[in-house]
Amino acid sequence: MTDRPVLEATDLDKRFGDLHAVRGVSFHIDPGETYGLLGPNGAGKTTTIAMVGGLLERDGGQVLIEGEPMTVRTLDPRRKIGLVPQDLAIYPDLTARENLTFFARLYEISGQQLKDRVAKVLEVIGLTDRADDRAGEFSGGMKRRLNIGIGLLHQPRLLILDEPTVGVDPQSRNAILESVEALSSDGIAVLYTTHYMEEAERLATRVGIIDQGEIKAEGTRRQLVQMVGERDRISITANGPLESAVTDLRGMSGVEEAGASDGQITLLVRDASELLAKALETVTNTGASVSSVAVEEPDLEAAFLHLTGKALRD
Amino acid sequence: MKILTIARSNLSRFLRDRANIFFVFILPLGIVLLIGAQFGGETSRRLGVSMSDGDPVANAILDNLESGDRIRAIRFDTEAALLLAVERNTVSAGVAIPENASAQIADGENISVGFVSRPDGFGPQMRAIVDQAVATATSEAAAARFATDRGADPTAAAATAARLNGGTDTITIESSTTGDSLFEGVTGRFDVGASSQLVLFMFLTGLAGSAAIIQSRQLGVTRRMMSTPTSPATIVAGEALGRFMVVLVQGLYIVAATALLFGVSWGDPLGAASIILAFSAVGAGAALLFGTLFKNDQQAGSVGVIAGLGLAAIGGSMLPIELFSDTMRQIAKFTPHAWANEAFAELFRRNGTITDIGPQLGVLAIFAIVLLALATWRMRKVITAQ
Repeated sequence: MTDRPVLEATDLDKRFGDLHAVRGVSFHIDPGETYGLLGPNGAGKTTTIAMVGGLLERDGGQVLIEGEPMTVRTLDPRRKIGLVPQDLAIYPDLTARENLTFFARLYEISGQQLKDRVAKVLEVIGLTDRADDRAGEFSGGMKRRLNIGIGLLHQPRLLILDEPTVGVDPQSRNAILESVEALSSDGIAVLYTTHYMEEAERLATRVGIIDQGEIKAEGTRRQLVQMVGERDRISITANGPLESAVTDLRGMSGVEEAGASDGQITLLVRDASELLAKALETVTNTGASVSSVAVEEPDLEAAFLHLTGKALRD
Repeated sequence: MKILTIARSNLSRFLRDRANIFFVFILPLGIVLLIGAQFGGETSRRLGVSMSDGDPVANAILDNLESGDRIRAIRFDTEAALLLAVERNTVSAGVAIPENASAQIADGENISVGFVSRPDGFGPQMRAIVDQAVATATSEAAAARFATDRGADPTAAAATAARLNGGTDTITIESSTTGDSLFEGVTGRFDVGASSQLVLFMFLTGLAGSAAIIQSRQLGVTRRMMSTPTSPATIVAGEALGRFMVVLVQGLYIVAATALLFGVSWGDPLGAASIILAFSAVGAGAALLFGTLFKNDQQAGSVGVIAGLGLAAIGGSMLPIELFSDTMRQIAKFTPHAWANEAFAELFRRNGTITDIGPQLGVLAIFAIVLLALATWRMRKVITAQ
């Protein structure tokens, strides 16, 4: 694994007539990193990944795949990319194995390696038992898995997943998310576009919030939340001298607000994970006995709302 | 290699569709069989005969008519029933033999044998057969009567006439035609239908195949191919080869099946193969072009059928081009069908070879090149703009 980013996208720009679909989008993805491109429908996610995947001529900017420039005319960088489109892109009248074999050949895999890779991918996507059934007979979730499997055939360095869980049942959705987590741990860089906040939170190492063709903010979930001033909430249910505990807690660094009512102490802090142990110790030191603790971290939905002025699914 | 991969997938998907199996492999043979039947489906023609039972002359005429394998006589009780049958085309023609024909001849009277046929069809050919049958049947009685009239014993005259009737030379009528025959050299009744339907169906199948190209785009598979290290040129070539293979397979199948099942003679094998190859390229080019002109497969399918049948009609695949007016013959030259039909005609009607059909092959090649070039330009534009 090198230090060089797998993907560097710089100042990407695209217009469709009067519509300025993508405006100066820049981001990079390191090996093993999952980058979530989070935005509502029509934000420019698909246009961005079409330019990244060399499918769409861009009006400006540059895309480098492991240092190699990617354009609509270059073929070599495509060997390093696995593109999984939002809409199913499989032949329903071919079997799962035939679909995989067809695309494997287009990725220039042949002979025994082709058979091995197809078998491996069928195993990864859980379709070994249905390998010789026509894709048209599959459930929506199975089709989605096959759709993703095609992108994995050639063991890409960068896997681009464009809203892969749209229209998928919860069970298949969870299976897809687990697969992506596993890929990431195998060192594959993943570009994952979604308008599901919880998917971005679960999968993405870093998130780029995109709206109206612009990256509004980028960072880890925590960075984004802090960027907009959101705070973690710690709720401690306890018996004893709670007012005394609150006084001590207010003196702790990182605690921005503290209060007690109905046997519960509520704290607003910058980072609950850093402060939780110390806060509990402070409460118990005052002689109170703690019966339960709850931590609520602000989510990306709140950050998104703050950054774009609208809810994610607007 | 990738071109073959795309083409093979095209062919495989095409052959899995049961509707395609019917339209590509079963229907053409059915049409060829039907047309063959129309061109001479029966080995003998049905001739209606009204006559009275037991009359020797009438029986002799009937025997003469049925003596060859060209006529199958159908008896009618009345002349009115016979006329109705001719009008309804249940028989090709009719012969009305008057009652008591033998007695009338014996009495020295002339008899009038009626012949009726429809203005179209096979009347003239059957008339000649009937004339010969009537002449043969009545000559013996006429000769006996002639001898009796001049004082011979009737019994002896009849015996002599019967003896001489078998031994004298018969009059042979030789027929000749002027001008070129429409189907000179056609030896089998399926030949004309087979070649014209081959051309019609190959082109129609090509255009129908444009739906698969559109579906591939609609399914997003074409765009996904673009995300692999596969150039647009390779994708276009693969799609074109796929259509070419589908049309070629159908062409070869029709040739083999009609030769085996109906005994169709396709002439010089090299020449026939060349026409099929060239026309497959034309069909592939048309399919690819249609696949880029329409947004959905329903549109392409509807227009494809109209265009396929229309061009086939203009190009002489429905009605032989020899029956066209001069103007329509000139217009037909703008269709690839006309050139393919003409090339086939050269091969199996005039025993032509590949050298003889060079001009037709050249024109077909130009059609293919122009269509493929246009389609490639359009296809590249379409798949890179998705």
